[in-house]
Amino acid sequence: MSDAVMSDAVMSDAVMSDAVMSPFAPLREQLASAAAAFGDGLVDDVEQALRTDVEIFPVCHHSPASALAMVRRLREKQPKVVYLELCEDLRPVLEELRNCRLPVALQAFASDIDGFPPEWAPLSVIAPITESSAEYQAIAYALDTPGVEIVLVDRSVDHVFQWEPRAGAADVGIEIGDLRPGFAALEEHLLHHGKVRHWSEWWDQYVEQPLSGADYDTYRQVMVLIGSLFRRLGPEGHQVDEDRERYMWTRMREHLAATGTDPAECLYVCGAFHAASPVMDEHLDISPRTSTAWLYGLIPSSHSAIEEQFGLAPGSVSIAAATWSKSLRRGRLTPYTLGGRSKRAASPPGTPAETDTEPETEDRLSGFLTRPPVLDGFDEAELLGWCVEIVRLARRNGYLASTADAIAVYETSILLAGMRGRKRPTPYDFQDAAVTCIEKDVVPGRRDVRRLCEILLGGDKIGQVGYDSLPPLARDVLDRLQPLGLDLEKRTIQRALIDLDAHPELEPCSHLLWILRRLLPDDAVRPIMGSRRLGERSHQESWDLAIGRNQRSIIELGYEGVTIEQVLEQRLRRTCWDEKATAATALDAVEDSILYLRNRRFTDELGARAVELLAGERTVDDAPEVLGRIRRLLAHYRAVEPELPAWAKSFVTTGYAHYCTLLPTAFAEEETGVRQVGAMLGFLFTMESLALSLGCDRTQLELAVQQSRPEAPAKVALLWTAHFQLGLLSMAGLRERMIELLGNPLVVPSVPQYVSGFVQALESAPTLTPFVVEVLSRAFGRLPDDVLLPWLPKLITTLRAQAPELVPMLVREAGRTFPARLADVDSFTPPWLERVPAKVITPPASQPVGELLAVHPGTVAAVAGLLGCEPVTIAGAGGEVAGLLAAHPETGEAVAGVLAVV
Amino acid sequence: MLRAPAEIKYADELDYLESIDTGFKPFSWRLSPRMVRIFVLGSERSDGLDREIPQKWFGDRGFVERSIVTLASDRGLLLIGDPGTGKSWLAELLAAAVSRNSTLVVQGTAGTTEDHIKYSWNVSMVIAKGQSRESMIPSPIMTAMEQGVIGRFEELTRSTSDVQDALISILSEKYVSIPELDDDNIVFAQPGFSVIATANSRDRGVNDLSSALKRRFNFVRIPVVTNKKSEAEIVRFRTAELLRRHQIDLELPPTLLDILLQSFADLRAAAASATSDDDKLESALSTAEQIGVLEDAILHSRFFGDSTLKAATLAGSMVGSLARRSPEDLAILNKYLHGVVEPRSRQDDSGSWREFLDGGRDAIATLS
Repeated sequence: MSDAVMSDAVMSDAVMSDAVMSPFAPLREQLASAAAAFGDGLVDDVEQALRTDVEIFPVCHHSPASALAMVRRLREKQPKVVYLELCEDLRPVLEELRNCRLPVALQAFASDIDGFPPEWAPLSVIAPITESSAEYQAIAYALDTPGVEIVLVDRSVDHVFQWEPRAGAADVGIEIGDLRPGFAALEEHLLHHGKVRHWSEWWDQYVEQPLSGADYDTYRQVMVLIGSLFRRLGPEGHQVDEDRERYMWTRMREHLAATGTDPAECLYVCGAFHAASPVMDEHLDISPRTSTAWLYGLIPSSHSAIEEQFGLAPGSVSIAAATWSKSLRRGRLTPYTLGGRSKRAASPPGTPAETDTEPETEDRLSGFLTRPPVLDGFDEAELLGWCVEIVRLARRNGYLASTADAIAVYETSILLAGMRGRKRPTPYDFQDAAVTCIEKDVVPGRRDVRRLCEILLGGDKIGQVGYDSLPPLARDVLDRLQPLGLDLEKRTIQRALIDLDAHPELEPCSHLLWILRRLLPDDAVRPIMGSRRLGERSHQESWDLAIGRNQRSIIELGYEGVTIEQVLEQRLRRTCWDEKATAATALDAVEDSILYLRNRRFTDELGARAVELLAGERTVDDAPEVLGRIRRLLAHYRAVEPELPAWAKSFVTTGYAHYCTLLPTAFAEEETGVRQVGAMLGFLFTMESLALSLGCDRTQLELAVQQSRPEAPAKVALLWTAHFQLGLLSMAGLRERMIELLGNPLVVPSVPQYVSGFVQALESAPTLTPFVVEVLSRAFGRLPDDVLLPWLPKLITTLRAQAPELVPMLVREAGRTFPARLADVDSFTPPWLERVPAKVITPPASQPVGELLAVHPGTVAAVAGLLGCEPVTIAGAGGEVAGLLAAHPETGEAVAGVLAVV
Repeated sequence: MLRAPAEIKYADELDYLESIDTGFKPFSWRLSPRMVRIFVLGSERSDGLDREIPQKWFGDRGFVERSIVTLASDRGLLLIGDPGTGKSWLAELLAAAVSRNSTLVVQGTAGTTEDHIKYSWNVSMVIAKGQSRESMIPSPIMTAMEQGVIGRFEELTRSTSDVQDALISILSEKYVSIPELDDDNIVFAQPGFSVIATANSRDRGVNDLSSALKRRFNFVRIPVVTNKKSEAEIVRFRTAELLRRHQIDLELPPTLLDILLQSFADLRAAAASATSDDDKLESALSTAEQIGVLEDAILHSRFFGDSTLKAATLAGSMVGSLARRSPEDLAILNKYLHGVVEPRSRQDDSGSWREFLDGGRDAIATLS
């Protein structure tokens, strides 16, 4: 500030001395007059702001000086109406601030949007409020003093998006009194010359501290001047800002005219930037809002969240809060607070301490600008306290800090402040000193010294919305979880133990927790023990609940509905009727509905939608998921209900017909993977009996299989198994084809793909497991290394990713087939290589059928061939055995006796 | 003198600052902390000096302030950081500004012994006259103690722990006793004595500092400069100095400086995303490395070229100084040239990147 004044003075001196002869005289004059106009403009702005009929109170966000001046001014003036620069439609929420622990944020939220591009949804506007802010003081004063009205005059949240369209999905933050040079180079200049690192620090040192003890006039003039300066130096494009100012002044004038209030009894609280407005007298025709339905509420906020959202230095809001409480103590001021804790104003309301005539405006600016900033005196006790405390904190966080460090930090802080031209070390100096003296090469714990300093200087304060201000849904959740006997408003993680056998009355709580688990972010509600899947019921559950910490998420659920069930229902409905919804997602929603909602009608509705989606699908990409899910659902219905619901029957028949129709294309198309085709076949074969009983026709499947002409080896293998399933190919035929493949050197490189096809076929034909084991075994044995080795890892990853449920089956079968001990390996012959000796079946001695068959073996051989078995020879009745038995009949009688007894 | 220490090189600036200094000077300091700051970081208009003091160390101002303040307290200063971040340069500037003597340096190596930081004996004189103060050879640290000035200890973590431990008593008791002598056997540190040590963060784990020694040092960690603007400043500043030293009159084209900075920034980004040491250049890619590359290129074009710096020469120097391991480093550089520089050269109209690419390819071809 003093820089600017100085350079102006230097420039005007130069103009005086040699303006006469120089060829640059006109230019010089022009520049000088521009500079003069600039300077005059600043002073004009200040004068104009002080002259208005409604008293303007310029503020800056997170500025304790603003808040202090506000407290003093309110006590002195006792205004009847407070106009506040805040979205006008947030007014009803202000009352709810009583039930909250600050900082909280006012939120406006819209998920159903109308009038904005749909991709903007959901829209959210957040206005955080801290205790040390001037606006909170004004709100608290107005709400708790009888006869005082607070009027929010800024554009509505709807206009925020109408005027400043932004596509990002993040919350839009709004703050009263955003005061920061809009001009990056200017900010850099100020920081560089102020020898500070961050804007917050600059502000604290050059404006905040000098102003904290200043009288009201100085405060007001300085704030307007800074506002005006930033306004003039900032980049072009104040259109939106000016429109907002017109909006606010229009609203104020409307209110004054409507209520007939005396402007002298009003106070207009706005950012210093808007105090220096050139458009105060202009009128704005306010455009109508869009038909977007806005919902309003309070969400908890925190100092760190505010710093993050508005790009402030870490810790600056906490430091502001600490400064505020210290200044209150020193100035013996009582702040205004809302709610039951409120202390009434010292002077009785309605009697202003002095008359506010203010006939002439005195110039306080010159004095302020020409003097070096008057800083607070050095507060030794405070600094000592900090030093001792930081060492204690550091020790607790694993640093080897000692009293010697406390002394060093103390000394270093003072030296640093001295070098930076400050008498009293600021929190920032202290932080630097602590880092210098305590931080070594590694950080031993989770927090470093800088973070510890932030904690020390107030730490991150997290607000909480009180029970009464919560939306109905959040209150309902808390009520329903009451039986657990936990304090869910605490911010720590709470462990809930639910023994459902011993306390069946806790069942509803457990149910609610599962729904919350489905709807809230991952860490809010975490089951440690217990699970919820179709057909399962937990006897005991244990939960980690962090509901207090996730208050915001629950409150935002509250914007979607009145009860948690309603929200879930809406979400499921939205997923199913979404443009991108598929049969698989719909079945998933059905499952969720069964698990969480237990609303038969709704489940049926979702099921019907799944049928509809399946019939409309032109691809089979989701076939594996569809198969898995419908299998689970059918198993569930068979277990709990006497009859399948109508939609499930319809799903099976539609699916049967649908997949039959798509089968030939799926076999032929290159884009469709083996897994998908395998799943289709799985659906068709495993659900065949059900489908046929519901009226489907098997011929459809047979035709579809016969029409299929796959080219990819894996799909060819799948088709063979389909033929086998339909009885068009025998096991011997299948085996023969496989052996042929392995024997043909031209096909050998593609054998692995055939094998993958066979593996996928297990989905539809579990009986093929021994065959697949055989195929794998033969492939491992016969394939050359250059084919086998690259394929092996692929086989393992495919099996793991695509057929995890088939692997145990394969492993079990392999365990049955191969020898378990090393010794047995040498003598091992795989079952498929064993030359099965032609079995001799001895028919009972005196049976005519046996004799007949033995006489005509051709019949038996033909049947055996059909069944795929080795032909057997039937021994005739007159064999040696028969002769022996006839010779010794007692053996036979004894056996007969034994058998009869048993 | 090939390279004058800072107190000689900037003697007139220091004289000037001393003459106008009215601030409080701790101990026997030649300048007040504020003036030390101005000397290192350069003057601003708001400081109200009638001559300009150029900036000599580039980086976060907070580091310099913290370092100066540490020297004014009773702890030693340990500058820690990656190689080439300007630790030693800052130490030299501070020592020159505070005590006008930056040459009392002990270089920490694996062979440094306790004698190097305390004292040793002139053997022939001991034989001739016996042990006395005359026959004793004080170490730079001991000299600094006697004179009340700043002593420097470079690469503290390279020296073994027994040597480091000898520093503990110097830093806490502030005296060295000489048990070999019967009288006058204690050397007390005069006010103003302090130690600036530097340590390389890449050497962590070689000879870790004991916690007793850590306690006696304030650590100031100096990061690698990644801000392109200040890096350009540093490279320009140091190169101008080098050119002056070699008495070379050569213009440094700004485009080439940009190319150099950009390619280092790219390589750093690549190193940051590398998953194993083999995908990463062995070099730390510090600012000092950049200056080295530039110096090499300048000397090369001065003595073997036509006295103008070309992009191809720069590329050759870069490959030459960064390729330390064959084939790993060469492969990375090759990948960089073809993956990043080549597409860029197609977009660039001035042809400098094209030339840079060709020079780099030639260099790699020669090396591999």
